[in-house]
Amino acid sequence: MAIVQEIKVPLIAVNDTSLTVVEMAFEHGSLVKKGDVLMVFETSKTTYDVIAEAAGYIAYSCELDADYEVNEVVAIVYNDAAEVPVKAVPKKETAVAAKKEDYKEAIAYWEGETLFSPAAIELMQANKLDAAVFKGTDFVSKLDVELKLGIAKPALNKKTAANKTVELLPVDPDKVTIAKLSSNKKREIEYLSNIQQTGLTSTINTVVETEGIFVHINPSLQYLKNSLLPVIVYETARLLSTFKELNAYFTGDAVAYYKEVNIGFAIDIDKGLKVLRVKDAAIKSIQEVEAAIMDLSNKYLDDNLLVEDLTGISFTITDLSAENVHFFRPLINMMNSAILGVSSIDEKLNRCILSVSFDHRVTEGKLAAQFLHELKNRLQSYRSVHHTHPNQDISCFKCFKTLMEDLSDVGFTKCITPKGAEAYICQSCLKGF
Amino acid sequence: MLVQQINHKLIKQALTIRTVEEKFLSLFSEGKLNGTVHTCVGQEFSALAFAGQLKKKDFVFSNHRCHGHYIAFTGDTKGLLAELLGKASGTSGGIGSSQHLCNSNFFSNGIQGGIVPVSAGYALGNKLRKNGAIGVVYIGDGTLGEGALYETMNIISKWEIPLLIVCENNFYAQSTPNSVNLAGDIRARAEAFGIKTFKGHTSSPENLIEDAATAIDYVRSETKPCFFLVETFRLNSHSKGDDDRSPEEIQEYREKDYLTTFSKEQTDYYNNYSAAISREVNEMVEHILQEREQRIEEYYVPTAVSNSDNWLPAKPVNKRQVELLNHFFKETITADERMIFLGEDILSPYGGAFKVAKDLSFIAPEKVFSTPISESAIVGISNGLALNGFKPFAEIMFGDFITLAFDQIVNHASKFHHMFNKKANCPVVVRTPMGGRRGYGPTHSQTLDKFLIGIDNVKTVAINTFFDPAIVYRQILKEEHPVIVIENKTDYGKKILHYLAPNFVYEINEDVYPVVQVRPAVSVPDITIVAYGGMADLVNSLLGNIFLETDLKPELIIPSLISALPADIVAKSAARTGRLVVIEEGSAYGGIGAELIAQVTELVEEK
Repeated sequence: MAIVQEIKVPLIAVNDTSLTVVEMAFEHGSLVKKGDVLMVFETSKTTYDVIAEAAGYIAYSCELDADYEVNEVVAIVYNDAAEVPVKAVPKKETAVAAKKEDYKEAIAYWEGETLFSPAAIELMQANKLDAAVFKGTDFVSKLDVELKLGIAKPALNKKTAANKTVELLPVDPDKVTIAKLSSNKKREIEYLSNIQQTGLTSTINTVVETEGIFVHINPSLQYLKNSLLPVIVYETARLLSTFKELNAYFTGDAVAYYKEVNIGFAIDIDKGLKVLRVKDAAIKSIQEVEAAIMDLSNKYLDDNLLVEDLTGISFTITDLSAENVHFFRPLINMMNSAILGVSSIDEKLNRCILSVSFDHRVTEGKLAAQFLHELKNRLQSYRSVHHTHPNQDISCFKCFKTLMEDLSDVGFTKCITPKGAEAYICQSCLKGF
Repeated sequence: MLVQQINHKLIKQALTIRTVEEKFLSLFSEGKLNGTVHTCVGQEFSALAFAGQLKKKDFVFSNHRCHGHYIAFTGDTKGLLAELLGKASGTSGGIGSSQHLCNSNFFSNGIQGGIVPVSAGYALGNKLRKNGAIGVVYIGDGTLGEGALYETMNIISKWEIPLLIVCENNFYAQSTPNSVNLAGDIRARAEAFGIKTFKGHTSSPENLIEDAATAIDYVRSETKPCFFLVETFRLNSHSKGDDDRSPEEIQEYREKDYLTTFSKEQTDYYNNYSAAISREVNEMVEHILQEREQRIEEYYVPTAVSNSDNWLPAKPVNKRQVELLNHFFKETITADERMIFLGEDILSPYGGAFKVAKDLSFIAPEKVFSTPISESAIVGISNGLALNGFKPFAEIMFGDFITLAFDQIVNHASKFHHMFNKKANCPVVVRTPMGGRRGYGPTHSQTLDKFLIGIDNVKTVAINTFFDPAIVYRQILKEEHPVIVIENKTDYGKKILHYLAPNFVYEINEDVYPVVQVRPAVSVPDITIVAYGGMADLVNSLLGNIFLETDLKPELIIPSLISALPADIVAKSAARTGRLVVIEEGSAYGGIGAELIAQVTELVEEK
């Protein structure tokens, strides 16, 4: 027998200890000539052509798309056609992957070969036990043979699942005292869980410059002076007719859009957290909004709220500005798709943070951001440009000292800056220190 | 005479910083302030010159001596005071305290050196967004001893990253004078990397501010880095009670201090301003002292690990693991605009030592960064990108080298979210191959996984040959916090489920980081074996032999999330079999198996 060429799997890349046969260029037993591409291997990076070194007859001992270890012989080129063996490549085992729908049914019967451990075989032979009694089993250990022979008894008390499902946290009466949840609190948890537990909410924030904002707002208000709430309710209600997705809720398989804008505002003054409804806020004036807020708050304090004061709310506002809150993340109420949170005005920075939490199943960040941006612009439009003490606006163009801070008792001098603009200069800068 | 005249607004800002700092010292003496503080009394104008002249869109990274920088950049005196007093309204919710502040693009960390690559990454993010924003990172003369700085200077110069490094030289690293620990010339260090340098002194604030503006303008308009050496004097101790400098020396500094001079020559203004600022600060403190601290349950809610017990058939994939990885990255780098790929030697055609990055730089050249051999900077820059909203994938060529990036993983990536009171996320991904049996020798074959679990807020995932790694990577794309991915050198060339042990069934559960189990097709198993990563493939090939040699029917459980092991699944199996073996690669003592066995022991009922 003359072998012209033995083709082994080459080591081509450090990663690949096995290669894939991706092409077998000839029929098994065909005549090949020198320089022919006999077959192609594929590595993780490249393909590799095997070239015939001389003429002969090719005998493959591999299969297409199968993997072979480095140095394994996958083909031989023989001198004579008669030498080519009949191709007999063992079929590769197919995966034991049952169909998904059948999968739940536990496999109780094994159709494949049974594997016996040496100890099991020894015991079977000693007891002349026929292997056929284990038909339908995957593995047979010595214990299985003993069970079959009645030597061992099945262990009944095998440990079962070690799942510890903890629903309630432990309570040590020595260390804690227990207070039952009020029905109010339970309802709050239920309402807030409804949307929040999906985890599909998020919150975005914006900063509203508030310097001078009350100069124009306060004259319109009778009771709630220096509060942004009435004007926020007023402006939000108007915006919601455009941002319909925020005046809506997720039903489970659809989005329900409210036809009216009924703004709820959260209140919590010793009587528990409640959300009160300002009905038809989009067609009320600021004065009417303020009156509604006052009226509802009084009813809340006097325990005179009616069912309709608490229901049918299409959008909620929670105002924590009186609580000295820098920033917070409001939680969305049941049957709402969004909530607006109002933080306290930072007196130093003259600004206030507004936050919108929204339900991603109904809307998305971009829309909520546009809403917030629009609201911010509307609120800032109330700002007065020249709102403060006139003296405060006069400052030295060189040292920024204001007229109020000046100690010279002479006042500032009007001047023309080197850039040609009109300005003021303090005495120290004018005369030098 | 005042050497220079600067505007009163700046003087008031400097005085505010000084007043706040001095208030901290007095609160500390009164026992009202936890921990220590590093004050910048004497160095205020450095804060105002740089942090004070930036735009809102710019950012500042600072160090342990960060209060002045914070006030100059954010103006948030109250948040700072509340933070150090440990109150919930503090800028970091009272969690970060003095050295760990985060507010509107301001970040500080008490680790020297490491903040430099992080800030470089943040600045790189701005450059990629072309938003015109730049950044300032403050270091001290003490930082000049840290290698991460030099790794980063090399990269920011090469990649033209708009970052201004401000080195505040107060001539002492804690208590050690420059003369003891600093060789050569400071500016020359930056110049050697081709970085433009400046120098100024806080005793001449006007010049300093003017030059700082020039430097800021240079970084912004040229999109290039810059190094600014600021000489300054610290008038108080490094921290508390660790000052061995002579009183004469400090007196000399005090006399050169601009605010001291101003107080002498403009006494009325000084007194007026001081009184007003002190009153304001005292009022704030009075108010803050009444506030509450953050409750532990607001901050931390422990979550129990619970794994899916729903098992589906695992399916072979006729592709090598490395091809699947490469395919995932090629697909994602174009589809996900947040994704950035960094590492050594990753440019194509080479495509990285193990070819995971093959062709990536052809497809998305602007998102693939081939780095110098600088593991600390690779991960640091990735951290900065992640803080800036990107999803960086850092490749560490060999797992052994991840030790060089450990500071970035433990003290930065892991810490940001929690120490900044959850105001910042760092969704960085660090990938690296571990494992031996390749003949690369002791420093290129280690399995260091056990050092990488148990890091707060960092998930560590080990992929394997039992399912497509893209399943894991797609989940990683959604993660908001750091993830380390352990790949395995010997697994790269293998196909998914390339070997199915006869008479066993392969199943995968529905966890986002799936667990695979290999169990006898019909028999009840007698022994539970746990192996992950590269070891799982080896153990899988031995399952038949294990049965023949031990007479025990094995069940193999293969976790992928090794930072939260599926102890419930393992406990359930071990309770049934009564036997548990954990097989892992690496040194024996203190391993992952020990952790798993301890957890399982707690879960399984007493026999």
